Amino acid sequence: MRYSDEVLRRVRERPRVGALPAGVDVGTGVAGTLAEGPVTRIDVRVAGDRVVEARFKVFGCSAAIASASLVAEWIEGASLDEAQALTAERVSATLQLAPEREHVARRAVAAAHDAIANARRK
Amino acid sequence: MIYLDHHATTPCDARVLEAMLPFFTQQFGNAASKQHAFGWAASDAVERARKQVAALIGAGSKDVIFTSGATEANNLAIKGAAKARRGPSTSLGTGERDHLVTVATEHKAVLDPMTRLEHEGWQVTVLPVDRLGLVDLAALEQAITPRTALVSVMAANNEIGVLQPIKDAAALAHAKGAWFHTDAVQVAGKLPFDVEALDVDFASLTAHKIYGPKGVGALYVRRPSTSPRAGQRDMRLAAEIDGGGHERGLRSGTLNVPGIVGFGQAAEIARAELTEEAGRTRALRERLLNGLLATTDGMTVNGALDARLPGNLNVSFAGIDGEALLVSLDDIAVSSGAACTAAEPSHVLVALGLSTDRALASLRFGIGRTTTVDEIDYAAAKVADVVSRLRAMSPV
Repeated sequence: MRYSDEVLRRVRERPRVGALPAGVDVGTGVAGTLAEGPVTRIDVRVAGDRVVEARFKVFGCSAAIASASLVAEWIEGASLDEAQALTAERVSATLQLAPEREHVARRAVAAAHDAIANARRK
Repeated sequence: MIYLDHHATTPCDARVLEAMLPFFTQQFGNAASKQHAFGWAASDAVERARKQVAALIGAGSKDVIFTSGATEANNLAIKGAAKARRGPSTSLGTGERDHLVTVATEHKAVLDPMTRLEHEGWQVTVLPVDRLGLVDLAALEQAITPRTALVSVMAANNEIGVLQPIKDAAALAHAKGAWFHTDAVQVAGKLPFDVEALDVDFASLTAHKIYGPKGVGALYVRRPSTSPRAGQRDMRLAAEIDGGGHERGLRSGTLNVPGIVGFGQAAEIARAELTEEAGRTRALRERLLNGLLATTDGMTVNGALDARLPGNLNVSFAGIDGEALLVSLDDIAVSSGAACTAAEPSHVLVALGLSTDRALASLRFGIGRTTTVDEIDYAAAKVADVVSRLRAMSPV
């Protein structure tokens, strides 16, 4: 599998990898199961109507790592509505993922949406 | 970038390249041109190379048939034996031999020709291996019948480096009148390999695994007159490529003279340096293994460690994605059970009984002539670091 330079950079540097300590302002979202490919977790810290901090963890391939890293980077600083509007197509296009890897971008976006919904419920 | 993938291919040795170069420009003759000095020079060079390759495997030089590589050699041995032995024209007196036997961990260049023959009506038995990657000789003996035309068992596996008991397997084949072929691509030039001592009938070789050029290989074909068994005196493969009767009629086509000269030179160097190089690569392999064991939990070695190519190490890691591991090792060229195909585990590791996840999270290290101690130490540290970081980022 050949990847774009952006995927390779994110796998090498892993920007925004990690987890946020649990708190009333932190939401967590998980997408995927071990049986069905990558498992992506996104943590967001919310202040008002903004995501002020985002981190990711992944068990999965390089495309999954790069997708989660990109999603975490994009939603950090975004309004909750902007973060909810993020699409897998945009992630996939930015990283130039092959069609058979697009599902991992959907996992990353689903985890982010889940995390924001979780934070909103708190 | 550190190259640790010498089972895939090797760099062409400078001494090999030097030997080849004149045959592209000054000595460009066709080895089949019998009428002039250009042809004679080419023919002499080919025959010298044939002796060099034969010497590497303890064969007579007339037993070496040059091909385009090991895939062609395997196809010639397997399809050639199958087609030669099927039908009423066989003089063995045992009736039609329409059965072939091989092993699940063979290279695709053996398995795929077997599958094609199966589709064309031959019976094919593919034997399993044990957890160490070794074929069970009792099962092999049971699988070979009076209808078996050919048994093909590789000498050393290209992924896990495991050495099969070739001499015993050949004896079992011969006991029932079957011919015996071995894919010796990985072992030739790495460990002593003698076709006479092992009593094999056909052996596939290639130049680019022993620091020669790509695009040239050979099939050792025992001449029927030299077989110790009277029943094999009519042993003759059916050719796959017709047109001119080159190479004892078994492989027609203008000979790749520069490539063959390079193959011969590579074989001579490999033979001269074999003992020292086997010891050096084995020591580097042990250093790599010990380095990884000291720093990385949840690692298992795939395949037998004692019966193994000296420069091979194949390991699996628990709790990480193999593809991410491979991509993260961005300055080390190794190969993975993932083989760059999404969710398609190595058939060799699956045959050993590994789960799909473990098979995918594996690395094959191929240590070779250019590998240094510093490279091994760097690779061990890098793998340990990447495995640790991938595990730390896992949410499960």
